[in-house]
Amino acid sequence: MDVLLAILSLFGLYGLVTLGIAVIFAATRVVNLAQGDLMMVGAYTAAVAAGPAFGWRVVLALVVSAPLLLLIERLLLRRPLADGLATMLVTWGVGMALRQAAELLFTSTSRTVEPPMAGAVTVLTTPYPAYRLACGLIAVAVIGLVLLVAYRTGWGLTLRAIADNATMAALLGTDPRRVRTLAFVLGGLLAVLAGALYSPVLAVNPTMGFSLLVPVFFGLLFSRPGALATAAGAALLIAALSVLLRAWMSDVLAEVLFYLIVIGVAALRSRPWIWRFSSWLSRLLLPARAS
Amino acid sequence: MAQPPSPPRTGILTVATLLALTGCGGSAISGGQDGQSGSLKIGVIVPLTGPVSATGTALRRGFELGVKKVNDNGGVNGKKVEYVVVDDAGNPATSTQLARKLIQQDQVSMIFGTITGDTAEAVARVADDAKVPFGTAILGDTERCYTYQWGFGETTRQMLTPAVPELLRKYGTKVAIVGSDYNYPHFYAGVAKELVKQAGGSILAEEYSPLGQADWQPVITRMKDAEPDVVLSMVVGADAVTFSQQAKQFGLLTPELGFEGAPLDTDYYPALSALVNGRTHTVRWTDGLDDAESRKFVADYRAAHDFKDPIPEVAGNAYFGVQFLLDAARKAAAFEGPAINTEIGRLTFDSPLGKGTRFESTNHRLQADMLEVTIKPGGAYEVSKKLGPIPDTTPKTGCA
Repeated sequence: MDVLLAILSLFGLYGLVTLGIAVIFAATRVVNLAQGDLMMVGAYTAAVAAGPAFGWRVVLALVVSAPLLLLIERLLLRRPLADGLATMLVTWGVGMALRQAAELLFTSTSRTVEPPMAGAVTVLTTPYPAYRLACGLIAVAVIGLVLLVAYRTGWGLTLRAIADNATMAALLGTDPRRVRTLAFVLGGLLAVLAGALYSPVLAVNPTMGFSLLVPVFFGLLFSRPGALATAAGAALLIAALSVLLRAWMSDVLAEVLFYLIVIGVAALRSRPWIWRFSSWLSRLLLPARAS
Repeated sequence: MAQPPSPPRTGILTVATLLALTGCGGSAISGGQDGQSGSLKIGVIVPLTGPVSATGTALRRGFELGVKKVNDNGGVNGKKVEYVVVDDAGNPATSTQLARKLIQQDQVSMIFGTITGDTAEAVARVADDAKVPFGTAILGDTERCYTYQWGFGETTRQMLTPAVPELLRKYGTKVAIVGSDYNYPHFYAGVAKELVKQAGGSILAEEYSPLGQADWQPVITRMKDAEPDVVLSMVVGADAVTFSQQAKQFGLLTPELGFEGAPLDTDYYPALSALVNGRTHTVRWTDGLDDAESRKFVADYRAAHDFKDPIPEVAGNAYFGVQFLLDAARKAAAFEGPAINTEIGRLTFDSPLGKGTRFESTNHRLQADMLEVTIKPGGAYEVSKKLGPIPDTTPKTGCA
């Protein structure tokens, strides 16, 4: 049970940030290198807004970050969007600027946030920190909600259409620029939410989001553009792999094995015969339907 | 039809602007005092940006106040002391380049600073090659000893020799060790294991985790299963905060558990105050010392920087350490590296760090007093026991 709860908690964190980066990638075909730093913005907002209750601080983080994200997208990303590399470099610069701003404002000394729920709850005979469980569950609920929007609403359909073929979607009357703006704001807000929610279990400092980029990138790498459920699934697999390896062996050995496995899987996926095999398999499992 | 944008040019321009704004154009260099012919110049290499910049800033402040005190008292042999501060951002490659630049271009007679072990080692190699004395102020041990490197921070043995028997007496003999996975925590654990065995205790768990760990649950679960009486932690940086916080949430870190190590340092107090209040910690210097020199330094430090948190120990070590080095320079015939280095090795110096402090020739570590402090609410690191001089004469490769 310990292991399952650990997977839930880590999946909540990885899942929110990965899903956010996948939403942005779906609409813009750009890897947002500032995603970890947006998470840091959420954590700092929860840490420094000491007055209101914790829940309100999380809301405040989202409210404060939304116009910031809109501004970044409108001022910095819209024009160079036609060049993916330039846009990715801009997001790298944005992340760096956010880290430096946090260091200037709050110094590099870590801060902590008191969890809104103290103590432990017992889950099937296993005592577990109450807030850790709560934030894992909230994160998973939000991930579910985003997937629901992506697969059951018109906006989700538009996003998936743009991810599939932006030119065709535009010819059919969709405004890709509007969808891209919305996707960037939504994707960024998911990272901000992850930072604010998980601030009581992490050390809040300017570089806190940077170290999270590696598992998040692997999550994005293992997902299909536009298929957000695959991004959430990849985040779940990465969280489970990390927790299981660390439960069975020392952290140092687990990390080496973790990277060997994920890099091995990434290398295998790029082989053409794997693509052919997975394509045949999907046709066998999900035969084409007339719609 | 709207004019199409010129994406590559716009992107490159934006990135260039951002990089310029974020200070990526190279390491910032700032001069200290006004230049003066024939003066003694020191190069200060510290991380003023990056993850350990808070500790680097504290070292710089302590160093600057130490130099100011010497200059206010007439300087060294009638010459004012100058210094040049450079930012290595905690990156050993940058530290090497900056050390070379300070020696070759700025013609410094001494180097002071660095925070992390790898940057100290990088500078020590350059200092040895150029025969320029190099002083560090951070606690802990580097891998090997260098002829021109001198460490003012306490060694692992000086920290743990008094602390381990006391912890085992107060809390029990079952010990767990946890650390970040790099050279120093492994070295720390080696010394700890030896001292725990000598004190009649046993090591039940030993855990290391790569730096940048966000989730400590597996480590904490294994440590909890071992049911230790004492946890010795050399988890450092932001990880020290994450580990301690999660250890409390999982019920490992309780008031009944003995806890000693890096998370009790003043650097982490603002983040971990509730977890460390009431605990004892072994240090070389604290802002709670009541001698006149320490009190003046503390008052000057707080006034100069409007600083309210506990003053990091590294600032005190730097303040008294640079005075030690400058006293050696005063005794040297000329402001030249080899002459000053010889005097550093010979000098005995009185300061709040101890009477007759001196460097051990076989390891170049300062033989000085140690203190047991009790951490009080509000961040007062009050001296609860003066432990006197704690020798560490363990020979190190390079000097022995």
